[in-house]
Amino acid sequence: MQAKPVLEVKNLRTSFRTERGKVTAVDGVSFSLGKGEVLGVVGESGCGKSATAQSILRLFDETYTTHEGEVWFEGQDLLSLPAAAMHSVRGNHISMIFQDPLSSLNPVYTIGNQIAEAILIHKNVSRREANARVLELLKLTGIPAPEKRMGEYPHELSGGMRQRVMIAMALACESKVLIADEPTTALDVTIQAQIMALMEDLNEKLDMGIILITHDLGVVAEVCSRVVVMYLGQVVEEADVVSLFARPLHPYTQGLMKSIAQMDCDRSQPLHVIEGTVPSLHSVPAGCRFAPRCPFADDLCRTRMPELEQHGDSQKVRCWHAETILREGNADA
Amino acid sequence: MKSYLIKRLLSVVPVLFIVSTIVFLILYLTPGDPAIVILGEEASQEQVDNLREQLGLNRPMVEQYFSWIGNALRGDLGESFYMNETVMGAILSHLGPTISLGILAELIALVLAIPMGIIAARHKGTATDQSVMAFSLLGMSIPNFLLSLFLILIFSVTLRWLPVAGYQPLSAGLWEHLKFLILPAFALGTAHAALIARMTRSAMLEVLNANYIKTARAKGVKERWVIYKHALRNAFLPILTVMGQSFLSLMGGTAIVETIFSIPGIGQLIVNAVMRRDYAVVQGAVLYVTFAFVFINLAVDMLYGIVNPQVRLDSKK
Amino acid sequence: MTDMTQDIDLQQVKKALKKEQNRILMQQVLANRSLVIGFVIIALLVLVAVFGPLFLTYDPNQMDVVNRLKGPSAAHWMGTDNLGRDVLSRIVYGAQISIGVGFAVAVISSFLGLIVGIYSSYYKWLDHVLMRVADGIMAFPGLLLALALMAALGGRVSNVVIAVSIVATPYIARVVRSEALALKEQTFVEATRALGASNTRIIWLHIAPNTLSSLIVQATFIFAEAIIIEAALSFLGAGVPPPAPSWGNILSDGKTYIFKAWWMTFFPGMTIVLAIIGLNLFGDGLRDLLDPHSSRGKK
Repeated sequence: MQAKPVLEVKNLRTSFRTERGKVTAVDGVSFSLGKGEVLGVVGESGCGKSATAQSILRLFDETYTTHEGEVWFEGQDLLSLPAAAMHSVRGNHISMIFQDPLSSLNPVYTIGNQIAEAILIHKNVSRREANARVLELLKLTGIPAPEKRMGEYPHELSGGMRQRVMIAMALACESKVLIADEPTTALDVTIQAQIMALMEDLNEKLDMGIILITHDLGVVAEVCSRVVVMYLGQVVEEADVVSLFARPLHPYTQGLMKSIAQMDCDRSQPLHVIEGTVPSLHSVPAGCRFAPRCPFADDLCRTRMPELEQHGDSQKVRCWHAETILREGNADA
Repeated sequence: MKSYLIKRLLSVVPVLFIVSTIVFLILYLTPGDPAIVILGEEASQEQVDNLREQLGLNRPMVEQYFSWIGNALRGDLGESFYMNETVMGAILSHLGPTISLGILAELIALVLAIPMGIIAARHKGTATDQSVMAFSLLGMSIPNFLLSLFLILIFSVTLRWLPVAGYQPLSAGLWEHLKFLILPAFALGTAHAALIARMTRSAMLEVLNANYIKTARAKGVKERWVIYKHALRNAFLPILTVMGQSFLSLMGGTAIVETIFSIPGIGQLIVNAVMRRDYAVVQGAVLYVTFAFVFINLAVDMLYGIVNPQVRLDSKK
Repeated sequence: MTDMTQDIDLQQVKKALKKEQNRILMQQVLANRSLVIGFVIIALLVLVAVFGPLFLTYDPNQMDVVNRLKGPSAAHWMGTDNLGRDVLSRIVYGAQISIGVGFAVAVISSFLGLIVGIYSSYYKWLDHVLMRVADGIMAFPGLLLALALMAALGGRVSNVVIAVSIVATPYIARVVRSEALALKEQTFVEATRALGASNTRIIWLHIAPNTLSSLIVQATFIFAEAIIIEAALSFLGAGVPPPAPSWGNILSDGKTYIFKAWWMTFFPGMTIVLAIIGLNLFGDGLRDLLDPHSSRGKK
């Protein structure tokens, strides 16, 4: 099923030096992205999914950040590249789009200018050629009246159009990988669907691998082929999308599922919420990180951290009780 | 943009009205008869009467005010009692040195302050940052006339690198011109620089955290261009505001700095006029300078529109 | 009986709470480095101004032509000036004038600024008039307006205070006004109004006290600015008339002899710098302490 991966993250650890001591936001994350694959990365806010994405491109200020592990892309470990060499990877081979397209676009330059910049940095082309390409990209992303839009500023565009601009920018150099960090969260529901459709479409047309970071399992079910579930800096479950929805193994994944499952059917039941809140990274639990919120937790869970282990062909889970859960099905089902 | 411009222009009118009223009233703050104060106690009654006539003191105050304003609007600010010329003529002949000094001081301030602010922001919390902030506190705490004196002590008295005082116009040669202006420009520009450095630092800190900076980096823009193309352009708005505001105090400082360095500019003109109680010159020059500031601030506001496309459209602002 | 004991307990709890609050406040004060350093500098200068004369051997205006323009020595720590007067004595007595003028300006402009600021926040028509006037005054370069006012008023210490206060008042009024405008909208003011309190009562009992912390911070900076303007005016010969030893006057004499007697410029100059740094640090610290929100990004 998996072709040779374009991007492979191995045991990534990202720590920040803060005033309150060292904080590890990404703690031993591994996954891979196949060519043309759409991989979902799911979790609540604060689970380290955005930090993982930004670590791949090394976007953090490296005076305060340390990266460990490996990120393999086209035979190179990005983490061991000299900082200067990263410039030719970012936006050229791997692009990224962000949650809030308004604040992600520079307010003082026209959108044409900002997209053209991405081309001019990486390709040896003239301004004129770059502008022609910008027009092509804007058409590709389905922006109406692209000639006119090119000369406009971000604040003159609607939210959906801004995100299309961000996508156009990411496509500028025909990147092999697109990292989309909550690309639809800040948008209206109808616009969300349009943007997701656009991304699916581009994925098929351009055969571009996409890492889709989201907290929305509905979106994942629609567009992703494989999913990584993260909790507090770690991968707790990884599976192809069918297995994950058919048979979520980690109690945290189950919790996430339940909170969406109810939305479309039974409205008489009280809305399911996972007990408690995500603990602060300053006080990470000793054993399994989910233990304080987990209905299955026992002493083993509270003292020793489980490893990410294979279950079946296509599923990995980090839970001491995965076997039991697998046998007995969902605890309260 | 057009309606914004008109609105902004109209907002200046009341300020100019108040300013001219204050300037006019200054003369009437003088205890006793201004004519006697000007001429001295020994003056003959005839002299005093003549002067009162010349000053228009015999007419009712409101009438004087309107004739003064009316003349001022036509560019006639009256005549100096001491120099054999009109106030406007005196102002124009003293304008050159002040403009040179102002430009040089602003230039020094910008060249010092903006890189310092950027460096401090990029290395926040380090020793570099702390030294920039210390310089900033020191720069803001040394009044310009004191700095003038200290600079003279160091560079003119001890090192003998630069002249103590004096002035040569640009026509005497660039170096001849600059030689006399370097110390006063530093004296004027330092406090300004301290303030701009501080503002640049805090504005850059804010901007560098913005999402579009992350986008620029993710695009593969090199760090230097991230700073200068993407961040600085956005940070420039608050920097411009501070520049506009503190330009006022920079130019206010010319009065004392020009006096110390014997530069025949507007500042010195005003100080000398105060000493000699040459009221027409004091009123005229102060009015002129203040008008100039109001319009400089207006120009700074207009510049916003160029720097920030959002202001250009939101005429509400 | 039980009620009594509960009352007493409550009293004690309140006392303990108050004590605890004071302790925390004290901790915050001591942890605030600028505030402490600034305070120490100002306190030192004030002590010198008040008690310094008791220890001085020379009268600040006593001339000694034989010993004129002598550098720092055991007899004259900071040297003598062109008339043989002891520079140290002149600086110490000058502190009384310069700090005195600064303080007087800070108090007067605070008082006027409070009244102007509060009433213009409260009455719309008054606001239009007063704020336009404030804009007008603030449109002048401060020193120039002060200079022009001195030209009209004539050189006297009291006139320096008046001139500088006129220049400074709008800056205080602006701060008070914006603070008061925010307070006016708050529930407790609305509630008091609903209870039928008169405007005067609301203004002076409920709004004014709450603007004080911002006002004091601003007044500290005005204090510093006033010292600078006084020194500048006197330096130019338009401020405190000589031979009174204000810091500006000492510097003014020093300028003439800058080639022969560096000490006449250096010592009074450093004293002024010290006073300004002290006040600026104190003001910064006070702002951090009283209003932690604004310490960041002061726009």
